[in-house]
Amino acid sequence: MAVNPKKLRPYDQPPRVREPIVPSQPDAAATTYLVAAVLWFGVATALGALWATQQIFPGPLSLKTELPTFRGTLTFEISPATVSGGFWTALVYGWLTNAGLGAILFITPRLLGRRLIWEKIATGSAAALNVGLMAGLAFVYLPQIAAKGTLAEFPLPIDGVILLALFMANVVFWRTLLAAGQLVPYISLWFFGLALLASMGLYFLDSAFPLIGPSDTALALANGAYVRGVETLWVTGVAIGTLYYLIPRATGNPLYSAGIAYLGWISWAGLSTLSMLGALVDTSVPFVITQLGNAATLMLVAPAFLAVANLALSIRGRWSMILSPGTVPLAVVALAFFTASALLESIGSLNSVRGLVGRTEWVTGVQLFAYFGMGTFAFLAMADHAFPRLLRRDWRETILADVALWATFAGTAVAGLALIGGGIAHGSLLRGQAAPDAIAGTMRWFLGGAAAGIGLIGLGALAEVVNLFFIYTSAPRVEYSVRDEVVVPTGEAAAGAAGQ
Amino acid sequence: MTVHTPIQSANRRIPGWAMGFTLAVVVAGGAYFGTNLSGHNPPIGGPPPSAGPPDAHMVIAKAGCMACHGPDLTGQVGPNLHHVKDGPTSANLKQLGTDHPDDWANIWIAGTDPAVSDPAMRMGMPAFAAPPYKLTPEEIASVVAYLKTLP
Repeated sequence: MAVNPKKLRPYDQPPRVREPIVPSQPDAAATTYLVAAVLWFGVATALGALWATQQIFPGPLSLKTELPTFRGTLTFEISPATVSGGFWTALVYGWLTNAGLGAILFITPRLLGRRLIWEKIATGSAAALNVGLMAGLAFVYLPQIAAKGTLAEFPLPIDGVILLALFMANVVFWRTLLAAGQLVPYISLWFFGLALLASMGLYFLDSAFPLIGPSDTALALANGAYVRGVETLWVTGVAIGTLYYLIPRATGNPLYSAGIAYLGWISWAGLSTLSMLGALVDTSVPFVITQLGNAATLMLVAPAFLAVANLALSIRGRWSMILSPGTVPLAVVALAFFTASALLESIGSLNSVRGLVGRTEWVTGVQLFAYFGMGTFAFLAMADHAFPRLLRRDWRETILADVALWATFAGTAVAGLALIGGGIAHGSLLRGQAAPDAIAGTMRWFLGGAAAGIGLIGLGALAEVVNLFFIYTSAPRVEYSVRDEVVVPTGEAAAGAAGQ
Repeated sequence: MTVHTPIQSANRRIPGWAMGFTLAVVVAGGAYFGTNLSGHNPPIGGPPPSAGPPDAHMVIAKAGCMACHGPDLTGQVGPNLHHVKDGPTSANLKQLGTDHPDDWANIWIAGTDPAVSDPAMRMGMPAFAAPPYKLTPEEIASVVAYLKTLP
């Protein structure tokens, strides 16, 4: 008998399936992390554009007001200093860390052939990390409460929440890896393992160190080493691990050489750790220790070159894929920026160069190449590869993907080069004993370029957010395959292939 | 269920060129380290101690004072610094100026005034320590001396 649905009363409707508060289906954690990451990408670039513009016009874009509380007043301040802290935190922990953890939780089960153990804990870690970050970012603008420093300097309870999130992600990764019982897992997992331990360890040390009451100098030195470690051990490690997965997957080629990959991992692990010593620049630190860090930074070109060469050779025979939008061109751009940032870091570690540009915009420009160049493009490639699979959508590349690629590429190149060039100019002017107003007048041009560049990256981020929205809302749903992949037509294997 | 699809490797050995390049970089880095052991680190955020009195212009530029006090130090977010020689103009510094008429500016920049209870005001300069830049007493003295010459 035909039923008119309009005549159905509520008690005729089938019971709704109750969804758990914390989802635990396969890929729930990776989806949560990657969606949050894309949103943070937009926030980070907006704060970045404000930060760069404030360097030129600090007055009109600043605000300082008193907020009444139960115990006196709190100063709320939007200034170059507070916006800088917000920008770097949103970039490194909001965008890159969310994307990195999403990549790890997406790739790990696919390489090990088993789903994550304790997926619910992984999803919970995503919630904890993002709640902690949002609360922490609000405190950055309350300088009486925020700690001194340049990255993720939050009040202790918020540090505890973020540390818990990193611990939970570590537990899920290591539990899954050990349960798989692989003696020599694929190289991506080696990078992920060390990077995850480093992220948690560095965050713990940076949060706990102030508790022992060190001097301001010791605190600033430790913070500098921590910032350096986050860049080389965490962001770079996850980005390389992600590229080692994406390029063979997207091209369909085998990895060129496992031997090169493991040699690169060993040299990266040792040199990145030693490289942190290069940030300890003060009379209280023996010169030989700082020099050891600088020499390690210089030698970091070796693992960078090994990874780039290995992955470039893995694309052989499929170079035409670079010309079509998708995962491969994004990954190749990441490799190009990885090469550039490794070379610039090495050059900047030479004593003569460091003496000229060591405390100028050069350092920020090279960091932008690493974060917005290598890290961002590796994770944009990850997003391009993962979202159709996670959201089960048959996604065709549109103009939005092109905008995200080209705007982010052009913006990163312009902003990075403007700051690097500005750093050289700044260092030269300082060496020539130029007057402050002369320096400020010259630097306005370079900082203007940086602001325009970060604004372009913001356009790319907006395109990525809209792209994600359209993937979810308008692309046709697919159950077991996505375009350009081998279709496994029937049975359990077909359901499994949807996850690849 | 997730299908196990390992990524294959075309070659498990390390090619000669990769090993050779790595060794060359390690040797170059070691040589650089070995030949640059003599020297000393500058104080954090400041010029080398042997360079004589710190130049006020350089310190002001490096510390980022102009970000808040304006390119000509006549004030933007932060106050005008052209009247330092006449004593404090900000209300919250009046008491400090009375207690320490000669070196109130040095104390304020260093952030070492124990009479100030507000922790934000005890951070010293640069305000809220945007970069981890700690001015040395010599740098502070140089900057204050320069500010007192401003018209």
